[in-house]
Amino acid sequence: MKPVIQTKDLVYEYYRRDEEGNVESIDTAVDHVNLDVEPGQFISILGHNGSGKSTLAKHINALLIPTEGTVIVDGKDTKDPANELPVRKEAGMVFQNPDNQIIASVVEEDVGFGPENIGVPTDEIWERAEKALKGVGMWEYRKKSPNRLSGGQKQRVAIAGVMAMEPKCIILDEPTAMLDPDGRREVIDTARELNKKKGVTIILITHYMEEVVYSDRVFVMDHGRVVMQGTPREIFSQVNILKSYHLTVPQVTDLAFRLKEDGMDLPDGVLTRPELEDSLSRIKAPSGAPEMTPSHEEKKAEKSPEDAVLILDHVSVTYKDGGTETHALNDVSLQINKGDFIGIIGHTGSGKSTLIQTLNGLIPVTGGHVYFNGRDISEKDFDKKALRTSVGMVFQYPEHQLFETTVLNDVKFGPKNMGLDDKEAGLRAYEALKKVHFPEDSFDASPFELSGGQKRRAAIAGVIAMRPQVIILDEPTAGLDPAGRDEILGLIKEMHDKSGETVILVSHSMEDVAEYVDRTIVIDSGHPVFDGTPREVFSHVSELESLGLAVPSVTYLLHDLHKKGYPVDEHAVTVEEAREEILRVFG
Amino acid sequence: MLKDITLGQYYQVDSVIHRLDPRVKLVATLFFIISIFVADDPIGFIFLTVCLFAIIALSKVPFSFMVRGLKSIIILLLICGLFNLFLTPGDAIVKWGKVQITIQGVRAAILMLVRMIYLIIGTSIMTLTTTPNQLTDGLETGLRALNYIHVPVHEIAMMMSIALRFIPILNDETDKIMKAQMARGASFDGKGIVNKAKAMVPLLVPLFVSAFRRANDLALAMEARCYHGGEGRTSMKPLHYRRRDVMGYFYIFGAFAVVIVLHIIF
Repeated sequence: MKPVIQTKDLVYEYYRRDEEGNVESIDTAVDHVNLDVEPGQFISILGHNGSGKSTLAKHINALLIPTEGTVIVDGKDTKDPANELPVRKEAGMVFQNPDNQIIASVVEEDVGFGPENIGVPTDEIWERAEKALKGVGMWEYRKKSPNRLSGGQKQRVAIAGVMAMEPKCIILDEPTAMLDPDGRREVIDTARELNKKKGVTIILITHYMEEVVYSDRVFVMDHGRVVMQGTPREIFSQVNILKSYHLTVPQVTDLAFRLKEDGMDLPDGVLTRPELEDSLSRIKAPSGAPEMTPSHEEKKAEKSPEDAVLILDHVSVTYKDGGTETHALNDVSLQINKGDFIGIIGHTGSGKSTLIQTLNGLIPVTGGHVYFNGRDISEKDFDKKALRTSVGMVFQYPEHQLFETTVLNDVKFGPKNMGLDDKEAGLRAYEALKKVHFPEDSFDASPFELSGGQKRRAAIAGVIAMRPQVIILDEPTAGLDPAGRDEILGLIKEMHDKSGETVILVSHSMEDVAEYVDRTIVIDSGHPVFDGTPREVFSHVSELESLGLAVPSVTYLLHDLHKKGYPVDEHAVTVEEAREEILRVFG
Repeated sequence: MLKDITLGQYYQVDSVIHRLDPRVKLVATLFFIISIFVADDPIGFIFLTVCLFAIIALSKVPFSFMVRGLKSIIILLLICGLFNLFLTPGDAIVKWGKVQITIQGVRAAILMLVRMIYLIIGTSIMTLTTTPNQLTDGLETGLRALNYIHVPVHEIAMMMSIALRFIPILNDETDKIMKAQMARGASFDGKGIVNKAKAMVPLLVPLFVSAFRRANDLALAMEARCYHGGEGRTSMKPLHYRRRDVMGYFYIFGAFAVVIVLHIIF
């Protein structure tokens, strides 16, 4: 079959220029890439941030023109300016940020935007918009304002906007990086369905490994080159090579890989849970009636009220919006102790953001009391500003708050607001930047010149520099690639383990929570439903599912094995724990 | 919540005025404004008042919404009125030393107040019955003639509609950045202008950076969807004149003729 997209020795160089316009340095973002995509394929491109995958994607849509080599889309060379619009029509593109790609204030008008641009007659625009919106399941929302939609829904509108141009292929450039797990699933399911039912060629660029499992072909990029290609199974069987490119594999694949290294007879590149279950059951038949689950319950040290830093006593938060009342928090009583490492999980809109903001007084409570070190924070003479510096809060995408001329100055902002003199503020800033392993030679760099991961560290340092007694982080890994995620989480763990900080981590990722925290609190409809160690909380598999929350995939696996009659401890929540359990039973 | 901000305070209800083509409403507003400045006698204003109330009744928008726009400028109106009242030279009716009220002053003050109030109610009717999107569409097609003198009408309309889409988003963003800086001990209620301005830096710099980033992203997304200016573009919701729109023009010009005739006679 004739390929729909073909790149031949594609090279793209970024020219970095100094103030006079002289070329300072040349970065080769894409380096001799040869790609053939056949019609109807589902292609995934993996790679860490800065590997050149987005630059490659922009070439397929003629947003960038190759420095060397050629890109042919549907038989048209993108270098020819006359082909610009036809190429963009055939290869539609969906971007990362759902807000920044919707043009109109009404959903249906946004879907009509593309067809309007290519001069489709009015009646046909309506037909296409209807077809496209039905195709992504957003027809009922056609009259709505995009601002009222969830992230996943916005991305589906963006996909519909591309579909309405009737393209041969859609390029999705990290479409799920800014979404919660539900939104992620929505978008990937939509892409898969369009691929299967309408035969649209899909090129998915991502760093979530779970999303590429169903693709026909995977390309891995590093330093602008395609370094691996093959089916997902071929790619995922080379776990160590992937890790060397700063990529991870899905939990199940990782577990199978480790078990195989331990000498178990498992196939290469296990992709899904059922696959691993099948392979395991071939090794050993279930031993009949499940044994009693070995009691692994750690003794919980009883904490006395003296250890408490923060106490929430029957706290409620109610918003009044015109006539309707929204209960963001509903009768929450919690105790947060010195040295705790807490993970808070819940849906978008479950009230977890409100909860953390009541802790430092940014959102006043409408019922109940919040006590900080034994004092009610709603008392009149309570110093709210001091509270905010003692209960440090790192918001989502904290790098968006950077504003100073140098990183060091920005980090000094918090300490200075506390009334410290320049020298002391500088000392604290230095200490904080060291703590987040920020490279010393960039202390005087402008925060706007840093890479994504470094910006985030600088922003986290900006909160740590106030030496808070409690650090709250809202989705600190959002939008980062796997390497960046591991670094930030490692950093947070280090702060807790080494410096004994009290840390509260808000996260969508069950895997992260299971791996790092000591105590998990699940919030639903403004009320905590579970509170305990990750092992305790994740043992409520069916209850969590009914709340629309998933447990880590290894927990599912052990749960299933247990049901089948294997005497495994179903409470394992990390890959390492699962490995030990399976080795114990199957080894 | 911030997400619910509707610019131009559109009031959703189904009425003849709502269904009118936005161009008709723009023209009507223009002629109404001309009329209130042409008319300068009670009979002219009685006629305009009748027209105004007829339209308000037809629009089905509660009267309280019409006067809502007046609240914010009531002080300004009063000051203007007082200036007119006391500072117009002419035949004094009351006199305290140097301060005097003249018959011309009373007349000027009343005229000015009525004109201002009618101006605001008149434009409110338009914004209350027309969505911002219709308004931009109306401006784009209505002012198309200006293209010939190189006014980039399409681009201006596109900018307006993008601004409308992004204002709520940037509003949310402002809120977020403010909270993030407050969490770092910043306060936005400093004393004195200099301190206030200084306190805004940590808010405004990130806001600008973000606005530019969004603009960049959006430009790329628009280009990727084949946007290349107004040339060769079709419209999903083209404006078509219907019978009621033609009738609308008929009434507008009729009423305007009456205003002119009344002006000449009296």
